Amino acid sequence: MIDPYYLQQLVIGLSLGMTYALMAIGFTLIFGVLNVVNFAHGEVYTIGAFASLVLITAFAPPFFLVVLFALLVGALAGFSLERIAFKPFRRFTDEASLKSRAMREATLMSSLAVSIIVRELIELVFGSQQQQVPFEYLINDPIHVGPVVITTGDVIIFVVSVAMLVGLQFLLTRTHVGLSIRAVSNNPLGARYVGINVDRTIIMTFVIGGMMGAAAGILVGLYYGVIFPAMGFVPGIKAFVAMVMGGLSSIPGAVICAIILGLSESIAVTFISSGWADIVAYSFLILTLIFFPQGLFGAKRERV
Amino acid sequence: MMKLKTAIAAGVLAALGATGASAQDKICIGYQLPLTGDTAQYGQGFRNAAEIQLEKFNASGKLPVPVEIIYEDSRSDAKEGVTIARKFVDNPCIVGVLGDFTSTVSMAAAQVYSRAGMPQLSQTASHPDYTKISEWQFRNITTQNQEGPYNADWMTELGIKKVAVIAEQTDWGQSVVAGFTKQFEADSGEVVFSEYFNRGLKDFRSVITKIQRSEPDAVYTGYFYEDGANFLRQMKQLGVEIPVFSTSAAYNPALINLGGDAVNGMKLTVTFLPTSDAENVKEFVSEYESRYGEAPGQFPAQAFDAVGIMLDAIVASYPDVTREKVRDALAATKDYPGVTGVTTFDENREPAKELTKAEVIDGAFVGIE
Amino acid sequence: MSDPVSRPAMPQAGRSLMSRVLPLVGALLVFALIPALLAHFGKGYFYQIANLALIFVLLAASLHVVTGVAGLLHLGHAAFYGVGAYTAGLLASHFDTTFVLTIPAAAVVTAAIAFLVALPTMRLVSIYFAVATLAIGQMIYLVLLNWVSFTNGPNGVLLFGGLSVFGIDLSSPTATYFVVALVVVASLVVIHRISHSYYGNALRSLREDDQCADAMGVRTVAMKMQAFVISAAFAGVAGALWAHTTGYIAPPDFDFAESILILSMIVVGGLGSLPGAIIGALLLILLPEFLRPLGDVRNIMVGCVLFFSILLLPRGLFGEVSALALVRRQLGDAWTTDAKGRGVGWR
Repeated sequence: MIDPYYLQQLVIGLSLGMTYALMAIGFTLIFGVLNVVNFAHGEVYTIGAFASLVLITAFAPPFFLVVLFALLVGALAGFSLERIAFKPFRRFTDEASLKSRAMREATLMSSLAVSIIVRELIELVFGSQQQQVPFEYLINDPIHVGPVVITTGDVIIFVVSVAMLVGLQFLLTRTHVGLSIRAVSNNPLGARYVGINVDRTIIMTFVIGGMMGAAAGILVGLYYGVIFPAMGFVPGIKAFVAMVMGGLSSIPGAVICAIILGLSESIAVTFISSGWADIVAYSFLILTLIFFPQGLFGAKRERV
Repeated sequence: MMKLKTAIAAGVLAALGATGASAQDKICIGYQLPLTGDTAQYGQGFRNAAEIQLEKFNASGKLPVPVEIIYEDSRSDAKEGVTIARKFVDNPCIVGVLGDFTSTVSMAAAQVYSRAGMPQLSQTASHPDYTKISEWQFRNITTQNQEGPYNADWMTELGIKKVAVIAEQTDWGQSVVAGFTKQFEADSGEVVFSEYFNRGLKDFRSVITKIQRSEPDAVYTGYFYEDGANFLRQMKQLGVEIPVFSTSAAYNPALINLGGDAVNGMKLTVTFLPTSDAENVKEFVSEYESRYGEAPGQFPAQAFDAVGIMLDAIVASYPDVTREKVRDALAATKDYPGVTGVTTFDENREPAKELTKAEVIDGAFVGIE
Repeated sequence: MSDPVSRPAMPQAGRSLMSRVLPLVGALLVFALIPALLAHFGKGYFYQIANLALIFVLLAASLHVVTGVAGLLHLGHAAFYGVGAYTAGLLASHFDTTFVLTIPAAAVVTAAIAFLVALPTMRLVSIYFAVATLAIGQMIYLVLLNWVSFTNGPNGVLLFGGLSVFGIDLSSPTATYFVVALVVVASLVVIHRISHSYYGNALRSLREDDQCADAMGVRTVAMKMQAFVISAAFAGVAGALWAHTTGYIAPPDFDFAESILILSMIVVGGLGSLPGAIIGALLLILLPEFLRPLGDVRNIMVGCVLFFSILLLPRGLFGEVSALALVRRQLGDAWTTDAKGRGVGWR
């Protein structure tokens, strides 16, 4: 029989991985389409958490309204982010510019600049300290399952992640919007030729990605009770790593890799000190890249 | 490129024109602290407390000339900290410097101050080597060489034999573990677990589970209040009921706001308790609350005293206030009656503070014994 | 479009005199005008800013080799800066090694570590490479932070005593400035010769299309690895300079945010452009200092400047095409022409 200690660590790793996965879903969606690193996704996550926190403190609405509000804010944040940091760089539509690395890195930089401005603004308004979250909203009441302890939040986050994942797969494979998103992702120029409105599709992607990011922000914020301006940074890096391990464009792949990251961190704590735990996650990444240069679940695609 | 360099040269000239006009009819103190960035909340607290102290001082008429504090934002970045240090050294009006917040920045800046001969008093730098850099470095925070043994003895008195130690992976966390472990083992206790976590870790559950497995009688923790609140909440969530002890750095009213019931029962040492009956503490706390709408934590109180100590040193060296005389006056500080207790600098420019035992009972810090 | 070979040759006339202007002005500026200005005002503050700016110019220029010229997005550069700083710091604090030796030692150790981590990762392309360098950077950072017995962990490393070379004390501000300027300028000259030469062109061909370059006989993996190692070596030199001028180093100086700062410098300045890297470094070091009077909102302003500069000049403040033209006109010693006077490329 497995030692309950290891069972508990596995459960912790799983729930940690789910929190990374929540972030990785939106991140991968945006990346898969535009092929740019979006440094501001962590800020969408933060905005979602802060906006919902303001709503909670002001009106104390029921939980599902908070999540709905986060989705709304996320949609708005995704939309504005696209308009401000990405749209201006699509004014060059010739093929050379589309392929140009400098262009791509310009959006990397503009999203970074937007993320700096947003974070500094939040810091200016709310201060950089951890915000106080009303206890009745926290989703971390323990539930005892046999020898291990999970929390209400684990269940909620699991359900939401699965819903997101299934919903997104449905959207991408069964709907017109999803079809155009995949078309733009595959070949923006070709998509334009067959009459897809590329601009609107990209906005759509950012809106959906933003919604997922903001929902992740408030859920993870309420799960740990930790909301502060720089909260998006670490999950952002983890989501980035999970996305690449999963093969860039595969959302289920990113989710699985996020869970692998979470598990490896919590298992690592058993054998080495907590300070070193991250090194295991990064070694995993390097090993993956060496043996699976296109990521674990990467479809065959043209080199990017 | 040419144009840019010319522009820079012009900027340099302009900046010089601005700073060159400092008059001798006032005395300045430099304060380097993080006002932006991830640690801004601490710097903001320092500035809040320093303003109160300074206004009180200037209104008291102890000196015929006004004293001014010049704040510079270091972002807790060593690059900026060193640059600010140079800037302060260049300013003839400045006779003493307070800060920085983190040891990394304080140490880097201290290299400048020690060479230039500028007294530096940090309210929080806890690096063991900080005051060893030169005779110009002072600090107003209890070192873990004092606090660790005090806690070790306390725990031994309570009959605790096996302790798990966990601290943040910073110079301060290192000194927490070292200071405590040495004395606790000398008291024939056993440290069964000793680990560091990276500051700002969100998920402590793996570590808590691991601590639980080592079956200690108590956990001794070196964290600031934010990490502390998370740690304690997750302990409660996992149903781990091991008594927790901590240091004065965890003391902050926000700990209870963030941690809720999970914080109850935590024991810690403090040098500052806002519920204290002392007159100066009451005055400081009510002033701070009325201005900023929240009770001050440990760190603003440290800053309040650091400013007070510096001002007293300036008074002692008046009328001929030079950096050397301020340093000597600082070194001679004896029994300064601050809100964080009575402060005296020893020959190594370290403070000896009175520590008080406290416990969180029903959502309030209560002094015990 | 940035291919220098297809450009018409520069007129030969006046090149002997006019083409010398830029290096001369640059040298005068760095070694005479700025120190004279600094010495005149005697302000340690400006010396400090000048030193810091020079160190970051070198960091940006070194990243320029791998990210700008060879086109490999590198997200862990600060870690190599840290390795250099720790090499110098540990040598100086444990063995009293002089500054003259720690600089090359830092370069060698950093290059060696870069070589080791490059071995398995250099076959990766584009974003896979970027995330691999991110992971490598984070791992090196974690080692600096957690390997307490070797690096002294979060306690950092203290270097006592100022700079001195062969017993001559160089710790005065002017002397320190000259030492830093000399090392940085010498490194810049090397980086200039690397990036503006046939070798640099080969690196650029990797960036434009590495499969094509491979087909043309360029050894892509070996070239990438060389670019990566060279760039790391110069970052190591910059780290040693930082360690010696500051006297205290600790892991937070070399975290991910620092990598992003260096990357921002070269992107804002113009990817692939060495003058751009220099301008970007100067901008991002000097701007926050000069915005100090704005108080708590200064970083928002820095973000805004970053945003608008990239919005209005997406190819950088000093784009690659104009940079190459300038470099060839002003520093084009190695630019050769054929019998008919047509430019044929770098020697």
